[in-house]
Amino acid sequence: MTKKPTKSTISRRSFVAGTTAGAAVLATTSIGFPRMARAEDTVKIGLIHPVTGFLAFPGAQLRYGSELAIADINAAGGVKSMGGAKLEALLGDSQTKPQIGAAEVEKMHEAGVHAFSGCYQSAVGIAASAAAAKYNIPFSIDVGVSDTLVTRGLENVFRMMDGYGRIAKDAATNLGLINKAAGSPAKTVVIVHEESLFGTGTAKLMGDYLPEQGLEVVEVIKHANPTRNFDNIALRIKSMNPDIVMPINYPGEYVLLARTLRQQRVDFAASYSVLGGGFNFKFVQEMTDLAENMIDVNHWYDPNSAFGQELRRRVEADGKFFTMEIYTAYNSIRLLHDAFERAATTAPEAVNAALASSTMDPLFMPYGPTRMVNGQNMGSRAVAIQAQNGDVQLISPTEFASAEAVFPRPKV
Amino acid sequence: MKSLKSRNGLLCLAGLVLALLIPQIIDNNFYIDVLTLVLFSAFLGQSWNILGGYAGQFSFGGVVFFGTGAYASSILFRSFGIDPWIGIFGAIAAGAAMGAFIGFISFRYGLKGSYFALITLAFAEFFRIIANSVEFTGGGVGIFIDYNPSLTQLQFDNPAGYYYLALLMTVISLLIAWWLERSRFGASLVAIRENEEAAEALGVNAFRCKMYAICIAGAMGGAAGTFYTQKFLYLDPPIAYGIGTSVEMLLVTIVGGLGTIFGPLVGAFVLHSINEVARHYLEAPGLSMIVYGLILIGIVGFLPNGLIGLFRRRQKKMAGGDDA
Repeated sequence: MTKKPTKSTISRRSFVAGTTAGAAVLATTSIGFPRMARAEDTVKIGLIHPVTGFLAFPGAQLRYGSELAIADINAAGGVKSMGGAKLEALLGDSQTKPQIGAAEVEKMHEAGVHAFSGCYQSAVGIAASAAAAKYNIPFSIDVGVSDTLVTRGLENVFRMMDGYGRIAKDAATNLGLINKAAGSPAKTVVIVHEESLFGTGTAKLMGDYLPEQGLEVVEVIKHANPTRNFDNIALRIKSMNPDIVMPINYPGEYVLLARTLRQQRVDFAASYSVLGGGFNFKFVQEMTDLAENMIDVNHWYDPNSAFGQELRRRVEADGKFFTMEIYTAYNSIRLLHDAFERAATTAPEAVNAALASSTMDPLFMPYGPTRMVNGQNMGSRAVAIQAQNGDVQLISPTEFASAEAVFPRPKV
Repeated sequence: MKSLKSRNGLLCLAGLVLALLIPQIIDNNFYIDVLTLVLFSAFLGQSWNILGGYAGQFSFGGVVFFGTGAYASSILFRSFGIDPWIGIFGAIAAGAAMGAFIGFISFRYGLKGSYFALITLAFAEFFRIIANSVEFTGGGVGIFIDYNPSLTQLQFDNPAGYYYLALLMTVISLLIAWWLERSRFGASLVAIRENEEAAEALGVNAFRCKMYAICIAGAMGGAAGTFYTQKFLYLDPPIAYGIGTSVEMLLVTIVGGLGTIFGPLVGAFVLHSINEVARHYLEAPGLSMIVYGLILIGIVGFLPNGLIGLFRRRQKKMAGGDDA
């Protein structure tokens, strides 16, 4: 005898009621969900990055680099001055929104966080670090180019890398040197930048600094985020016939612009980007022909450092790309660890004082020792890197260079 | 029926007392902060609800009022040193003026339905590009507000301060909606929503009523802009005029219940709760947003009148049972 199929006992009405009730119950039971401090022998580091949304790739890289540093530090004995206290990551997703970033600070504060590292976008960093300032919790900016992050007088905010003020100056100087060394073939520049604080602020500074190097900025083109078609911009650049194209934008747009310029057969002496979001091993290895001889000015590891080479090997063995985000996140955690080690406590005042007096060895970065002035590390500097034969070479400054610049690039 | 009304009144009063006591009851700044965001969303949603829910003028660019108010008070503060307490009135005036401008252009030429929705979207995009291109808004660099917690700066070193400010704004927005439901003007808006031609045939001045509605929505959006900038201390064109805020405004209202007093508040509470719970329990990047989206589809798909509609249906059923 065949058993008659049983009619579902869940009606549409009861499903709706159940869903609503479920949401309400979840909302109610969520009271108390931030994780409470489990033990006093851990130092909790809040990681706030955009791991979802249009910046998910760099956000995930930053999270990975931070967790890698935490694992390495714990494997080496944790915070020794605190009896070997281990670092523990509290993971946060800003979803690229300042209000979510600030809410993550509140959530992690309730979970007993001792320091923060984040946030990639300056707007999120500004909101989140101000929220952390209410509790004086140390906040290390791993990536965030706006100088406002460290010029607001907040005593809990520190940045290991440069802001766009110093990076733009370095970028213009390096371009001037490369151009002069080649006999000054380049005279004109077109800047293409994304529309937010990062792109607009950097482009404005480049517009000021490039004429000092004998380079005329013939056009500044702004584009929205996201932009998925660069045909018009490429044709506009073609009509200008500049010697240098200078992209200042996020990863997706960076790669798309490069591809469209190739498709439209726009010829120029060099693509010289500043903090080019898409210039990394992923781009260079996956689009070798397109990337060949493109130049970027960014924070990069010292290719002559044994530790840097070993770290790259480990990251690549883990199936990841060794991007700039990994170095900056790794060093941001090292900076915090060094401060906890010297402060021998998690008390915010003591840790902030230790951060302010940091003289940490940059380990695998082409920096000098850390030297904080109002929260900004004055020992850091950006370098010029170039895609050559499917790899990335450091081309300037010469004391860290792994190859000579190819400039102007051969005709494509 | 009278007892039902008095019971609802008592419930509202109890809710307000509870809301006032929450910072004393919950010793957890994260929840206070989340509740602040819920109230902020509810307030923005209510501004959309007045125009979209009561007057039936669906807008895809409600953010334009928020952005205009945010820029108005920020520029008054940064460039002229005018405290945000005064600046918020400038923001309200700027939002209302923007409402009058968009409303006059749209309603004067009889735009309604999807045409009105699209023109509001176009205005939001237009002002985003303008804000990106002119100097006095800071262009793409945006405007930074100094962190200086004090009452005069409308900045607080305790999340409870922002919570009470958001609560005050939400209560005002609820009172506006309550007044609408009981006034001749509100009845005119509902009549326009149901059938504009019929309403005009009955003597309702549709153009004037819609202009008033969009000005009220604009004023509320402007006030929300000041709140946002003083809390998050930074404003740029994508924040001010980005479509995400417009979507949030209409979403909380539709989920809660269009054209109802408590719809935006209920919608904001449920959506934020689901989002926070999903984010907490699902650590894989993006998974929380997928779950959030699925639940949202479920609510919107199965509850065309929103959660308030479900509540009313239940209430009617219970009342029917009592009568029997």
